[in-house]
Amino acid sequence: MKILVCIKEVYDSPETLVFDESAGRVTFGPHTVFRMNRYDEYALEEALRIRERLSSAVVDAISVGSPRVSRIIRRALEMGANHGIHVQTPGETCLSAFERAHLIASAARGRGYDLVLAGVMAEDDMESQVGPLLAAVLEYGCATGVIFEEISADGGRVAVEREVEGGSRECLTLALPCVLTIQSGINTPRYPALSHVLRARSSELECIEASGLAAPPPTQGLVRILPPAQGRQGEVIEGAAVEKADKLIRILREHSLLPR
Amino acid sequence: MNGRFFIIALHEGGRVREETWRLVSFARRCGVADPVMMVLSDEGAIEQLADELAHRTGLDVAGLAGSHLREYSAEAYIRTLVPFFRDAPEEAHIVTAHTSRGIDFAPQLSAGIDACCITAVEDVGQGTFIRSVHHGRFRAEVRADRPRVVLTVLPEAFAPDDVAPGNPGKVRIVPAGDISLSTCSRGARAPVHANMGLTRAEVIVSAGRGLGSGENIRLVTMLSSLFPKSALGATRAVCDQGWLDYSHQIGSTGNTVSPRLYLACGISGAIQHLAGMRDSGMIVAVNTDPCAAIFRVAHYGIVEDLTTFIPLLVDRYLRGE
Repeated sequence: MKILVCIKEVYDSPETLVFDESAGRVTFGPHTVFRMNRYDEYALEEALRIRERLSSAVVDAISVGSPRVSRIIRRALEMGANHGIHVQTPGETCLSAFERAHLIASAARGRGYDLVLAGVMAEDDMESQVGPLLAAVLEYGCATGVIFEEISADGGRVAVEREVEGGSRECLTLALPCVLTIQSGINTPRYPALSHVLRARSSELECIEASGLAAPPPTQGLVRILPPAQGRQGEVIEGAAVEKADKLIRILREHSLLPR
Repeated sequence: MNGRFFIIALHEGGRVREETWRLVSFARRCGVADPVMMVLSDEGAIEQLADELAHRTGLDVAGLAGSHLREYSAEAYIRTLVPFFRDAPEEAHIVTAHTSRGIDFAPQLSAGIDACCITAVEDVGQGTFIRSVHHGRFRAEVRADRPRVVLTVLPEAFAPDDVAPGNPGKVRIVPAGDISLSTCSRGARAPVHANMGLTRAEVIVSAGRGLGSGENIRLVTMLSSLFPKSALGATRAVCDQGWLDYSHQIGSTGNTVSPRLYLACGISGAIQHLAGMRDSGMIVAVNTDPCAAIFRVAHYGIVEDLTTFIPLLVDRYLRGE
């Protein structure tokens, strides 16, 4: 069984983003720390668990982005992936899900993946599209928001449960090959084992130039980044910490939310 | 908006889901008064669903019927909708709700008809669509570069609009054939982590990742003990970390609550979490990050470090300040 896991690099905290309102742009500030998208960590962990159940399975990890992205691919190797593929773009990337899905599909086509896993969404742009678009391009089946999976003994089908509103679950069985987008909480992602860290250090990543891959013209364009909507004009409680505490207690008492 | 405008209604248990009426508001926001309502089901249920749509909206309805649509699956929807829209006029907006099902089939539908797909749309610009990005701290204005556009729309961003202005719309039932699927639906399972304690509580003290560690859960426990009829809530991230179990989870895939007081501790305010608590009577947010999205739904906001502020707050209260 060949498994591909799609991973994305994201910033660790949105607090390090720099917003230029007149240009309508957000850039990474100097103190930005990058890491693997958390949802993709769950997808990678699930792939590794499948490999542990089916001894003949192989897990590849793929990511699209600047040379810096190689670090999270190496992280995937440290967690236990067999092989890392880097679809490299020059410099900082601002690609839509559509472009990412087509680049990954071009790199993956012909490699005979039985199962493709991705996180349910990326923490930064929250589009939830790469997995299902990739499935459409590869003509694979697809289930999103997967919180449980079990591959049949013959390796031909996978039973999944999708998490839906209110925590209910939709149960379905898909034929392989297919794409599953993985919901957080399906497992507990592991820390890299020392043996894998050492192996990852000497592993070569497979590097593919994005410019050499076939991809159709983008379906959409970012016009600009806007500040958030106004929302509720709530009151910010100011003052020293003690004053804030006292004021909050007073407000809660006035609304009979705290006993006197 | 140019071209045709279609709203795909989602349904469950023989009834149209409530989000659908909000999509009608969205259409009006786009300047479209006469979108076509669409619904997909098997022959046994399609007429009742289509009639409900026609009566409540006064809009024309296309009901696509086939035995493969008895239960929802992305494959069944895509294999029905792709041929339908391939034959429709090229310029079209196709809209559904940004729910677990909408987001399950919309991207694949867009790929099948060479459309642009924009998800979690919450507002409309000048021929553009606006969605939250970067943990709700900013919004992106996005332009579609294809004549066909598939949108998933955040239901809570629009008010329900289901007052039919006059006569019911015309209903057209379209046989969609009986397609043999490779996906097999096996029904639904009830929520594993429903929590009656949370839905009954008058006060919910809720923990987010900003708490920093599982050890600090004792702080929110301590705070909640000040309130009678209180319960502990949490974001999905806190449950994923194992700091609290999933029965405490509040948000789109967890519990939906509307207590008199919601005290959000270290919660950034992702849309998935807001979906589960935004109707609370009073929302108080405490967070170190003054730009956190939670402050835009809060009635009262406090920028402080929880590890020092909660003990201080409890201390001041117990001293009778």
